[in-house]
Amino acid sequence: MRILSRSVARVLLLASSLTALSAVGARAETTLNLCYMNHPVIAANVTILEKWAKEQGVTLNKTPVSYSVYLPKITQMLSAGATDQCDIIWNNDDWGQDLEGYLASVEDVTEVRNVAEGQLEPFHNKEGQTTAVPIVTTAGIFFYRTDLVPEDQVPKTWDQLVSVSKKLQEEDKVRWGYVGGMSYTNTFFSFWWTLWNNNCDIYEPLYERDNVKMGEAGWKPMTASACQKETAEFWWDALHANKISPPGMTTYSRDEANAIFQAGDAAFTVADTTFLGNFNNPDKSKIAGKVGIATFPQGPNSSGHRNWIDIWGWSIPKVIDAEKQAAAKKLLGAMMTDVDGQIEQWHLTGGPPPNTKVWKVLDEQDPNWVKMSKILFDSAHVHDAYYFRNWAATHKVYSDVMIRAMKGSREDIQATLEAGVQPIHDGAPK
Amino acid sequence: MTVEPFTLPIARPGPTMFERFAPGAWRVFIGLVIVAVLMIFIAPVAILIVTSIRPASGIYYIWRGTEFTLQNYVEVLQQPQILHAMFNSFVMATLATVVSLGVTVGSGYMLSRFTGRIQKTWFATIYVFRTVPYISFVLPLYLVTTNLRIYDTYLGLLLPHIAVHVCFFSWLMKGFFDSINPSMEHAALIDGCTRWGAFRRVALPSAMPGIAALSILSWLWTWNEFLFALILTGQRTPMITSTMAQFVTETGTEWNLMSATAVLAMLPALLVTIFGQKYVIRGLRM
Amino acid sequence: MLLLVAPAALVLVCFQIIPIFIGMNASFRDWSLVNPAKTWIGLKHYRDVLSDPVFLYTVLPNTFMLMVSSVVLSLASGLGLALLLNKPFFGRPVVRTVILLPLTVAPVITATMIRWSFNDQFGVITNLLSVLGFPEIGWLSDKWPSFSLIILTDVWIWAPWFTIIILAALQGLPREPFEAAQIDASGKWRTFTHITLPMLKPVIIVCVLIRSIDAFRTFDQVWILTGGGPARETEVFSVYAYVEAFVHLDYGKGAAAAGLGALIMLVVGIGLYKLVNRLMEVSR
Repeated sequence: MRILSRSVARVLLLASSLTALSAVGARAETTLNLCYMNHPVIAANVTILEKWAKEQGVTLNKTPVSYSVYLPKITQMLSAGATDQCDIIWNNDDWGQDLEGYLASVEDVTEVRNVAEGQLEPFHNKEGQTTAVPIVTTAGIFFYRTDLVPEDQVPKTWDQLVSVSKKLQEEDKVRWGYVGGMSYTNTFFSFWWTLWNNNCDIYEPLYERDNVKMGEAGWKPMTASACQKETAEFWWDALHANKISPPGMTTYSRDEANAIFQAGDAAFTVADTTFLGNFNNPDKSKIAGKVGIATFPQGPNSSGHRNWIDIWGWSIPKVIDAEKQAAAKKLLGAMMTDVDGQIEQWHLTGGPPPNTKVWKVLDEQDPNWVKMSKILFDSAHVHDAYYFRNWAATHKVYSDVMIRAMKGSREDIQATLEAGVQPIHDGAPK
Repeated sequence: MTVEPFTLPIARPGPTMFERFAPGAWRVFIGLVIVAVLMIFIAPVAILIVTSIRPASGIYYIWRGTEFTLQNYVEVLQQPQILHAMFNSFVMATLATVVSLGVTVGSGYMLSRFTGRIQKTWFATIYVFRTVPYISFVLPLYLVTTNLRIYDTYLGLLLPHIAVHVCFFSWLMKGFFDSINPSMEHAALIDGCTRWGAFRRVALPSAMPGIAALSILSWLWTWNEFLFALILTGQRTPMITSTMAQFVTETGTEWNLMSATAVLAMLPALLVTIFGQKYVIRGLRM
Repeated sequence: MLLLVAPAALVLVCFQIIPIFIGMNASFRDWSLVNPAKTWIGLKHYRDVLSDPVFLYTVLPNTFMLMVSSVVLSLASGLGLALLLNKPFFGRPVVRTVILLPLTVAPVITATMIRWSFNDQFGVITNLLSVLGFPEIGWLSDKWPSFSLIILTDVWIWAPWFTIIILAALQGLPREPFEAAQIDASGKWRTFTHITLPMLKPVIIVCVLIRSIDAFRTFDQVWILTGGGPARETEVFSVYAYVEAFVHLDYGKGAAAAGLGALIMLVVGIGLYKLVNRLMEVSR
């Protein structure tokens, strides 16, 4: 009954809108459902999309989905082939390869290729076409307290990080030297930035992410290597011997680490660049105006500074109508070429604009941008994930190994790391 | 002095040891226990409330500094979705409670008063399927609701909630009916009541406190439920919990807004509890 | 008579039993969420789970430990509070409302709140304890403290649940036996063990069973408080199943783990039913 009345209503609506159409000669209204995580940067990008949707006569339905179920829900929707729920989805390089088969190529979106080198590869489909339009580049960066540490004394090495921290702690200027996330999925903010800045990686060969090449090399974990052991020992000492980091840090996510840094209880942290805005916002932080950015301190084995940068993007499911796909692409293209909108996004959130053409504009006018851009983009790069199906599980195994090493005694670190080699190898594709 | 009061059975109610040595000590002790219990029960809620009125810069170190603000509430209430979600959750919790009650009073009564194959099968069924964790069937539930075209509608969330309540309700209802002496119903039957009449006039009123307790529990359960709300709703029927969960993002939690929303969400729940527990205590017996 | 259960049964079949069967079907198949090939692989997932030492020697013991301690502690405190609240005293309505407070907060929020409150740096409670002179405890980062914290959180959330149900049952009890006991001048304890407890038996058995089943699949508190850490030492079975299905997106394996848990609980539940029954007989 309800279905009947609804379809009657629909026919009536259609009929009336048709009359209206022929009368005014306006375009037919297209509706696009936008599914995303409600992150400040994405929200800022959605604002750009909304502006252009209005311009193009498209109705945007916003469906924010909690991050805690985003991936299972979206994959379930895509694999079930549902066409009525999302027309544009937020996509992340970690899942790019899992989802690419369900997504339309967006190669024909205006200026979609204006990204830093190698950034769209994680979203490539089998034909080598990208399935994602960039929203922002995500990256981690080293933050320090400018009121405690003059620029020329910012630690360049791990040893300096320890000595400067200890000095500040002894002088009672700050409670902790370094604080950062360490629990699973926050591995980047402790173990990994040090790993990548100590000439080390999870698998050999270093910094390679091409599955074919990795397969040929046999997916050899570097878990028991000297460079990995140095990293583990550095963190073990930070927690237990040098005590420059709080003892509970093994359980910290970004929330705890940022809370401590923002309260002024730590001198250094590593976090996503997008937190620069938060840290310097007096409404949110006790240390507003006292936060600077710098390159990562280097490990003993380092051969140069290395940053991870990766893209968040918009994608379009294959199964939706061609007409909707075209509308979605047109909308995304408008966002990609909106210089002012992207600069606004950068100012609001500290997230680098999606289009590299806009970077050049900012190079001319924004010293803050120049500084961050130097740190992030004028350095060697690494992808923050591997791109095989089982990566999330293997990341968890890696995290468990490292946490176990942190909770055990210092002498046991080598043994704990060695015990991790086989499981991490088994986690990789056969 | 004898130590008689400690041996069982006690022949006469007399003053306890406590009262002999220190009159009123027992009372003070009980009083202190109550205060301690209250503190334990209040503490996390109090911390939550204090958190929600702290400025975003003091949201974690709530014991540092004395700045308080209602800014979090202002910001939350400015989002039109929050009130919409509150309304949806209210409707959902109320409907789920009322309908579940409707469909399970009978089934609970049957479980308690009848024996036979149907009764046994029914009992076994609800028992077996209760043991399966939600996470293993919430995704198929998504498939079922999309295929029935009720995904992201009231119905698509209501029916799964009722299915979850069926077991809990039938079972506890059985417990309540079990603890009511059936002889009164037999008397009613002999007096010429129909089975239905005996159920309605005798069994049901006695089970009233139980039904009231169940209603409170199921209402609160539905109101506070996350997983179903997250998976089975989209932008058309947001629930308060799924809206709250949006403050959780990949790079952190907006805890100031989330705690304010949580406190707002507590208010209706508190009202229902206060209102409902009157019936738990009084029932229809007094 | 069938009519009494028909509506409930219909909803149950459509929105619980059928989805569960879909899930169980997936557990015998190669069913990744991103690429549901759905090829039949028989018992492979079950073999994988059962041969996983973490599942056998960490996850299962933890799950049982959590279930038993949470149910016993919340039953004991719930029963005590219900008896307390059953008698009129000054301020009772206020006390009653306060005791039900935990039910009004979503468990997810409670767990988050507890996590912040026990943080080693900014936690309100850790700071309070250190002011009171307690030694520093890794509430969230060491196995036993964090496991105790999980149990305490669970008890905090669920004790009121027992309280309100038992209170309702107490209110529904007939008066006559108590009046008789008063005439016999029986002691309070004797009245409790000989009259109150036996009459509460049906409700308590049901409560314990339902709560045990639910405690066996506790998820939110564990996931939020420790995520199963440090290094999987506080992992319980629903976290195991969740991580497989929702994080690793291996829905087949997650469903198999969930199915195994359900099977175990099924058997344990029957044993528990008999045990509780026997215990209540003895206490008479």
